[in-house]
Amino acid sequence: MGSIQIQQLTKFFGDTQVLKGIDLDIKDGEFLILVGPSGCGKSTLMNSIAGLEDVSSGDILIDGVNVTDLSPKERDIAMVFQSYALYPTMSVSRNISFGLEMRKVPKAEIEKTVADVSQLLQIEHLLDRKPSALSGGQRQRVAMGRALARNPRVFLFDEPLSNLDAKLRVEMRTEIKKLHKRLGTTIVYVTHDQVEAMTLADRIAVMKDGQVQQFGTPYEIYNNPANRFVADFMGSPPMNFIECVVLDDKLVIESQGEKFELQVAHGEIVRQAGLETVILGIRPEMMTEPKPHVMGALVHSIPMQIDVIEPMGPDTIAFGQWNGVEVQARLSPEAGVEAQTKGSICLQVDTSKAVLFDTFSGVRLDA
Amino acid sequence: MKSLSTSQRHYKVLFITILVLFALVYLAPLYVMLTTSFKGIEEIRSGNILALPETLNVSAWTKAWSSACTGGDCYGLAPYFWNSIRIVLPAVFISTVIGALNGYVLSQWRFKGSNFLFGALLFGCFIPFQVILLPMAMLLAWLGLANTVPGLVLVHVIYGVAFTTLFFRNYYVGIPTELVRAARLDGAGFFAIFRHVFLPLSTPIIVVSVIWQFTQIWNDFLFGVVYSGPGTQPITVALNNLVNTTMGGKEYNVDMAAAVIAALPTLVVYLVAGKYFVRGLTAGAVKG
Repeated sequence: MGSIQIQQLTKFFGDTQVLKGIDLDIKDGEFLILVGPSGCGKSTLMNSIAGLEDVSSGDILIDGVNVTDLSPKERDIAMVFQSYALYPTMSVSRNISFGLEMRKVPKAEIEKTVADVSQLLQIEHLLDRKPSALSGGQRQRVAMGRALARNPRVFLFDEPLSNLDAKLRVEMRTEIKKLHKRLGTTIVYVTHDQVEAMTLADRIAVMKDGQVQQFGTPYEIYNNPANRFVADFMGSPPMNFIECVVLDDKLVIESQGEKFELQVAHGEIVRQAGLETVILGIRPEMMTEPKPHVMGALVHSIPMQIDVIEPMGPDTIAFGQWNGVEVQARLSPEAGVEAQTKGSICLQVDTSKAVLFDTFSGVRLDA
Repeated sequence: MKSLSTSQRHYKVLFITILVLFALVYLAPLYVMLTTSFKGIEEIRSGNILALPETLNVSAWTKAWSSACTGGDCYGLAPYFWNSIRIVLPAVFISTVIGALNGYVLSQWRFKGSNFLFGALLFGCFIPFQVILLPMAMLLAWLGLANTVPGLVLVHVIYGVAFTTLFFRNYYVGIPTELVRAARLDGAGFFAIFRHVFLPLSTPIIVVSVIWQFTQIWNDFLFGVVYSGPGTQPITVALNNLVNTTMGGKEYNVDMAAAVIAALPTLVVYLVAGKYFVRGLTAGAVKG
């Protein structure tokens, strides 16, 4: 009970166009994440779905019904705000019940809902308090409780975790995912945090400059990015982008004064296109210390001089230079220690998942 | 507590002395008014102006309240006191309510031109009373409200709305817009949001608005003298008439008692709600 279709949605603020024809088809019960850098239009898109913002053109359908001109109240949507937006003069329990009260739900039913929701979110002991007497994490829970109480067709989350400290953020992230699993209600969730996007989403819409760059599962977005922007935005540490000269159907990597030829999965595309250079996109985890069990035509061995070593705990990021650009490799902690003492490392480079982009446009070449 | 050095202590003594001196200067007239009002007329003529009254003589007070002459009539200030009440209470109430709604709209429900409208309203704070005397008199005559209590209420409401709007708008602008958005999604409409979310937050600024409007309107003389008729004069006008009406010698004790009676309500309002006044004026953003 909560599919959303967004069709050719545009939005102008004065002369600036913040949404440039958005098309999204969100299935019932789906956890959709809108992700992108600040100013990409993701919050505007969310406010448009909520009905808090008028759209300039295009349609929004919920369960097949066009709601574009309906007020927020009539759309049966609940939203969790970044600032929580709890009513400061009301107790926690009234904060949760206010929406039901406004909808003239019978009193007994309201009481039961408040009890159920507060039990689900473990905030029963806070019901009589005012929001000002709550911690950040507790306010977050109350804000979610307010949304849950209404039992709407769609939940909207506007960067709900960005005001929490790192540890609490991870905890609440898991909790939101569990909650979604239990309730099965459609969720549209805005964030600029790509880790949140990867961990929570059924599908991700990556946005930039008012356009959806790619719409797909976290796996698709990570492993098969539509363009250089998506590849760069998703993943931490980020994907390496190395401009390479094309030699027949191979790419040339220059390191420590020597040249190495790199074979890629779709080399013939590059040859057919007749390009002089391409951008090789390769994730740090595909550049590791030698692992003898990984073999094949796409596995190469290329040395790298170590500039900086950053131990992360489970693995270590090594920074060096290839073709005059900075690259990052992901080593085991032991290999990291060894590389630091030696000042260089012979990397095993696996191009089986590497992707190719046009040097100038950033368009994906091998998709 | 930190202990003060000797020089700091000297400064402190100096500052307190200066403050006490200023306070005395400001309180001296009130002292003279009060002591004089309890003296008999003989005692005033012969005695020292700063001396305490020999006996507490309240006859000047009763005369000022119920039998002193204000022009032709000799009913004291009482009827005019009630005139003022009948003008002030509705005018304060209406201008505060309108100001609150205006401020709510101008801060939380902005529309095209709302900032211009707010600027125009602000301009109302700077229009001198004298400028509008004639046009307002014509308007009141045209409305059939000349020389009536509702007419005076209308004038004070119109003049006060500029100030009350300013107060409420600046107070509400510190309340995050997300509260309105959350309430809209919760299904609350324009007035429900005002009543359930904004009004409970507004106590300090309501107090500011009430005190401000009450003192302004109670103390007003110009509008009172221009737009009132014989039966609708406010107390400030009556006080002026009382002091200027002399039968025989000047009765300073009655004049003083009358002046204190005229000033008493504003004093009471300040004493009751004064601490909220400062708090409300300095209140910045409201944290959620």
